[in-house]
Amino acid sequence: MRVDAMSLSLSWRLFRHEARRGELTVILLAIVLSVASVLSLSLFSERLQSALTDKSAEFLAADRLLGSDKPVPPEWLEEATQRGLKVAQRNQLRSMAFANDKMMLADVRAVDNQYPLKGKVKISETPFGLPQVTDSLPQPGEVWIGSRLFQVLGVNLGDQLEIGDKAFVITQAVIELPDGGFSLFGGDPVVLMNQSDLAATNVTGPGSRTDYDYLFAGDDTALDDYYEYLKPQLNREIHYWRSVKDDDSPLGRSVKRAEQYFLLASLLAIVLAAVSIAVAAQRYSQRHYDPVAIMKTLGASAALVRRVYLLQILFITALGILIGGIVGYGVQQLIASLIAEKVQVALDSWYWRPFLIAVFTGLVCAMLFSLYPLMKLFSVPPLRVLRRDLGASMGSRSVQFAVAGLAIFLLMWAYSGNLTISAILLACGLLLVVALMLVTLGLIALGRKLGQARMGAWQLAWARISRRAMDNSVQLISFAVTIMLLLVVLVMRNDMVQQWRDQLPEGTPNYFMINITEGQLPQLEQHFLARGVKVEQFYPVVRGRFAAINDETIRTDVSKEADSNSRGRQGLGREANLTWSNQLQHENHVVEGKWHGGAAPGEEPRVSVEKEVAERLDIKMGDRLTFNIGSEVVRARVTSIREVNWQTMQPNFFFVLEPYAMAEFSPTYITSFHLDTEHKAKLAELMAPFPTVSLFDVDARINQLRSIVEQVSMAVEFILFLVLCAGTLVLVAQVQASMDERMQELAILRTLGARGMLIRMSVVLEFVIIGSVAGFMAAMANELALYLLQTQVFNMQAGFHFQFWLLAPLVGALVVGILGALSCWRLLSFNTSDLLRRMI
Amino acid sequence: MTLTSNMISTKAITKIVTTSQGELQILQPISFDVKAGESVAIVGASGSGKSTLLGLLAGLDQVSAGEIILDGQPLHAMDEEQRARLRGEKVGFIFQSFMLVQSLTALENIMLPAEIAGLSDARKRATEALEQVGLSHRGNHYPNQLSGGEQQRVAIARAFITRPRILFADEPTGNLDAANGEKIENLLFDLNQQLGTTLILVTHDSELAARCRRQLRMHGGVLEEAPVSGFEDKRHAG
Repeated sequence: MRVDAMSLSLSWRLFRHEARRGELTVILLAIVLSVASVLSLSLFSERLQSALTDKSAEFLAADRLLGSDKPVPPEWLEEATQRGLKVAQRNQLRSMAFANDKMMLADVRAVDNQYPLKGKVKISETPFGLPQVTDSLPQPGEVWIGSRLFQVLGVNLGDQLEIGDKAFVITQAVIELPDGGFSLFGGDPVVLMNQSDLAATNVTGPGSRTDYDYLFAGDDTALDDYYEYLKPQLNREIHYWRSVKDDDSPLGRSVKRAEQYFLLASLLAIVLAAVSIAVAAQRYSQRHYDPVAIMKTLGASAALVRRVYLLQILFITALGILIGGIVGYGVQQLIASLIAEKVQVALDSWYWRPFLIAVFTGLVCAMLFSLYPLMKLFSVPPLRVLRRDLGASMGSRSVQFAVAGLAIFLLMWAYSGNLTISAILLACGLLLVVALMLVTLGLIALGRKLGQARMGAWQLAWARISRRAMDNSVQLISFAVTIMLLLVVLVMRNDMVQQWRDQLPEGTPNYFMINITEGQLPQLEQHFLARGVKVEQFYPVVRGRFAAINDETIRTDVSKEADSNSRGRQGLGREANLTWSNQLQHENHVVEGKWHGGAAPGEEPRVSVEKEVAERLDIKMGDRLTFNIGSEVVRARVTSIREVNWQTMQPNFFFVLEPYAMAEFSPTYITSFHLDTEHKAKLAELMAPFPTVSLFDVDARINQLRSIVEQVSMAVEFILFLVLCAGTLVLVAQVQASMDERMQELAILRTLGARGMLIRMSVVLEFVIIGSVAGFMAAMANELALYLLQTQVFNMQAGFHFQFWLLAPLVGALVVGILGALSCWRLLSFNTSDLLRRMI
Repeated sequence: MTLTSNMISTKAITKIVTTSQGELQILQPISFDVKAGESVAIVGASGSGKSTLLGLLAGLDQVSAGEIILDGQPLHAMDEEQRARLRGEKVGFIFQSFMLVQSLTALENIMLPAEIAGLSDARKRATEALEQVGLSHRGNHYPNQLSGGEQQRVAIARAFITRPRILFADEPTGNLDAANGEKIENLLFDLNQQLGTTLILVTHDSELAARCRRQLRMHGGVLEEAPVSGFEDKRHAG
């Protein structure tokens, strides 16, 4: 486009005057809204994600981890330091801890002084005591040990503990390590020592399995670059690289789901923005039919008209982006500071991406969505100066919808990089549009019938709806799309937060007991009950080695505990916890075969296998599994595969056998109970009569998990709030725009002496009808969108939301009706000649 | 200026539009000439086809058949772009509903044709024109801040700013009261006289029509020459 001084000056003048006279308010508001909402949402979610990633990093004690079977070349670590990364080292191995002539297998961790890079070590002076954060670490010659070791070995602070050839002094009880893992059975109790002591223990000799873990922290780019440097030198057999994003723990999954939600919310904000810009641009274009006809009449070439108006849109866009940027940043800053106490977001951090996205969105939306209205505007014939009924003469609306749909889809795809989410939203949107077109046709037919009766507010409303059917269809679609998007965000948030909270309901067991003998059961239950603590179900457990599938011997054992402790590697030599029951556990679902419970014993014992393990080890229905339990061998046929919700803090088992198969083994029992954190002191009294029972404290873990879930939920609520605000503003803009189109009719009705009440009622009724139809259709489309999103993207259980089928039309009618009434009231406050003058 | 050459020459022009009921011929074949400097009123009842004819003569619309030569240029053979250029160079307009750009001030509205024509002294010319129509104190006002009469004066100033060879006026006093209407008439004819512009005026006001040198009557799409006896120049009749 060649820009000459004349067109620049003319468009600048038009822009300046129109801005001053409030002519540009609607389109400017739409752009401001789109930029502000996209900016605030994505900036906020970027900050939040960074806060959450930071929080999750604590569970790795670092941002990245390099694991190895043997020490890595020192130059690798020097390179990391040179790149400005923080580096810490940790050795981990299993070894016997000796004290008081007793011994116990322990999870020995020898750490250097940099450990941990993320998160804090929590200690206490008493086993199972209240955790205290510390920045120090065991000095050489000292160890800090897990509470259970105190219990089993009968030691106290100041006592000696031997690991290999070296004796240590116990100086603290370790209550929580950031990288302690989420396992319920916790593996073996921890012994934390200074790395400089490790050599003296002589436990790392040949044959021992020592992990050499290198922890790194720093900014993402530096970490990624460093990994690029390392990658060619890594040997898959011995090395592995882990980042917090690989975290498949319940927490990791919650964070991932939240991230997807933010992405979804931002996408919807973009769509809302696009809808509002499209509506505003259409109005803008219609208001400029006359000036274009005048300019053409006065001899302006088509090129000049194009230049003048494209430049004007550019000016508006630039101003919109500027104001939107400031507003969006302000809103985001306000919200972030409001929730700063609950969610530790860094207020001073700066992210370029959201700004770029916001500017890009504003630019693309303004240009793409005003393109069609502008092209229509350019096609206005000069003859309009003589014949006012002549409008733009250009293509069909379907072209407009197709272009708009494609543009929205491309925007969503470009922004999210997620084809599934974008395709789902687009498909549902398209279906909604088609359905709404059909409804519009129905309304026209209905309106014709109803409109024939005597002219009252009701007939006037219907008549207007059917007469302005095409205009209304655009309005109906934009209302319905807006309401649908708001519903998606709202219901998604409800479902997601609910499912999170369901994982950790109040009273979730936070202590587990194992090694309970059959004889102790009644006594233990009674003892606890007498102290006001309810013990959950007892599960019989026998430790067994999973030995063969269809008599084919396997090399390693598998258990969820082993898995989580070894970060996905097998072969720690742990045994699996076998249990038996005829009752399917809560939160377990049979996905293949039939649960053996209740059925008469078959020829062979039956076993139910957890789905992920079955997939990993390629266990199929009908396979024969062999377990070695002590010197005994138990064989069982796989008759069901179960899906287990690992996110519940409940004991779960990979293998559940039929009770009769295990009748000859004497099991120990596992159970759990809940004790409020402030009643921790009660523990000693509770456990005193049962010295052989081992206690696992997962209270800290549950609290950690709960605090994250609460933070994420809170963040999600704020995002919801932001999207709702954006949506409401879009609705206001839409009503405002349509009011403009109604002005002429209002003026005529007014001139003809129609009472204000009649006009007001008819407009309100019209909006109420449109609002309720849009709400109802939106509720339908919402179900489809949610079903697809929840099953395809969020991996959640989908369900119907019947309450919204009633609620959405009601709220739609109410909100749109009220907005219509307000705008109408404003118009009717002008006197008739003002109204007529405004129409010109 | 002598009335020798033809400013407009039409040969059997017709206009046919397609409606839902089929084709409708709005203008029967019309042929007539207008000499340069002549003032012509096209009169007739509403719906007789006056405005359609004006649109065709001014190059705002395309004929269905026939030829129009405007100041020697074949209007009928031109596309919209060429007609726009011709309008910008040779034609001025005045409308019943003033047709001012609402978001430009009075002065800027007057400047608009000069700017479109690429004249460098647009502002100077507009200021002078504004003075000529007696509105120099209202230059910074927007159209909706002006009375109907004032708006039409601005429109007249705009019409003359490029010194057009021909001026088309569509019911120029149709929206005004008698007093304002007369002022506007006087202004229009004065400027027309001063600048020797050819004037084609569409009206159903017989008094206004009578001020033109020549009258053409439209009736059911047919144009016929009306007797010229009614011609009077009020300025001279006074």
